[in-house]
Amino acid sequence: MFFFILTNNNSNKMFFLFILFFSTLISISSNSWFGCWIGLEINLLSFIPLISNSKNLLSVETSLKYFLTQSLASINFLFMILIKFSLLKNFNMNNIISIMMNSSLLMKMGSAPFHFWFPNIVEGLSWMNNFMLMTWQKISPMILLSYYFNKNFLIFMIIMNLIIGSLGGLNQTSLRKLLAFSSINNLGWMIFSIMISENLWLFYFLIYSMMIFMMISLFFLMNMYFMNQLFINNMNFFIKLNLLINFLSLGGLPPFMGFMPKWIIINFLLINKFYFLTFIFMMTSLIIIYYYIRIIYSSFMFNYFKMKWVNLLMKNNMSLINLSSFISISSMILSTFIFM
Amino acid sequence: MLIYDIWFLFIYMFSVGNLIFVSKNKHLLVVLLSLEFIVLSIFFFFLVLLMFIDYDMYMLMVFLVFSVCEGSLGLSILVSMIRSHGNDYFQSFSML
Repeated sequence: MFFFILTNNNSNKMFFLFILFFSTLISISSNSWFGCWIGLEINLLSFIPLISNSKNLLSVETSLKYFLTQSLASINFLFMILIKFSLLKNFNMNNIISIMMNSSLLMKMGSAPFHFWFPNIVEGLSWMNNFMLMTWQKISPMILLSYYFNKNFLIFMIIMNLIIGSLGGLNQTSLRKLLAFSSINNLGWMIFSIMISENLWLFYFLIYSMMIFMMISLFFLMNMYFMNQLFINNMNFFIKLNLLINFLSLGGLPPFMGFMPKWIIINFLLINKFYFLTFIFMMTSLIIIYYYIRIIYSSFMFNYFKMKWVNLLMKNNMSLINLSSFISISSMILSTFIFM
Repeated sequence: MLIYDIWFLFIYMFSVGNLIFVSKNKHLLVVLLSLEFIVLSIFFFFLVLLMFIDYDMYMLMVFLVFSVCEGSLGLSILVSMIRSHGNDYFQSFSML
């Protein structure tokens, strides 16, 4: 990521990236809710210069939409903090206040029902900015969510996340929007894992960000933004195999890495008798795997779509792709050696 | 002595600011102004809150600094939008 920024003569973006990292740390490690708000504000202030580029019409609209939704969410968050502060011994309002605080944090994350800005903005960003938006920007709202959440409200939001994330991606042809809806779906899993334990959330988040990194780096190297670019004749077999493995891993199929955190969450769900929620988790995962497989199956049959006008030569930088395939396939087994 | 009726004023100001933010406007500047109005209502709330508890007002100043930074960021995005689109009407959004 740093390499890609350095090659584009953008050393001022390095500065903002540095502040972005620190803003999350400020927000997580603060003693009071006010410090959390300060971290979220610095997060917004440092992410906007990373994504705005005034020569491009699309990025101006993107940064505007991002700014409006995020600033509204953080101002609402601050107001709820103040109301919570002013009503210290009045416990009747706890439900309402926790619902409002969780809502503003969910709006910052892009979770349903506040998700409408998310696919729009993802459509206007480059792949590296998308990676930052989908992984790093979710850390601090989630950890703040874990400090004061309302269980019933969050379970309702989780169900909405899963359903919207799975059904919303069915009619998409843009790869960025597809990954955005998949991100909304995975947010549902992650919010539930927060309610189980923060360790499990960290585990799910790390594996999710690793999977997204592999996918996004593959799309970035091939400069692919839409689904019709996937049907390329000259693509190396290993690249196609890597694409298949990463998509199935993201969907949560068993031998791949992405199955592990979902397995632990389902284990918890079934032990504690959350049967209806398990049903919704399962069914929405199936819909997601359906549209992943729909993308990649044709390139793996013997008789696949061949577009002859694209030349893709990727002979030199195969090591990252081979490494990511290896990690996706073998990490379920390797992880049993680590956690011994 | 806490007067509970004053909380209604703050909630009303905040709600009105939010209402203008989500309403259909012709200009982007109205939206940014509504954000500043919400910031103003929170400033008032914070001030009265800190006065009633007899705390120091340092936090209020920190809040003011961050809100001003955010307001200026909004204005810079407005300027960038005018440079690329020519106006700040919401109707000229065609890309997303």
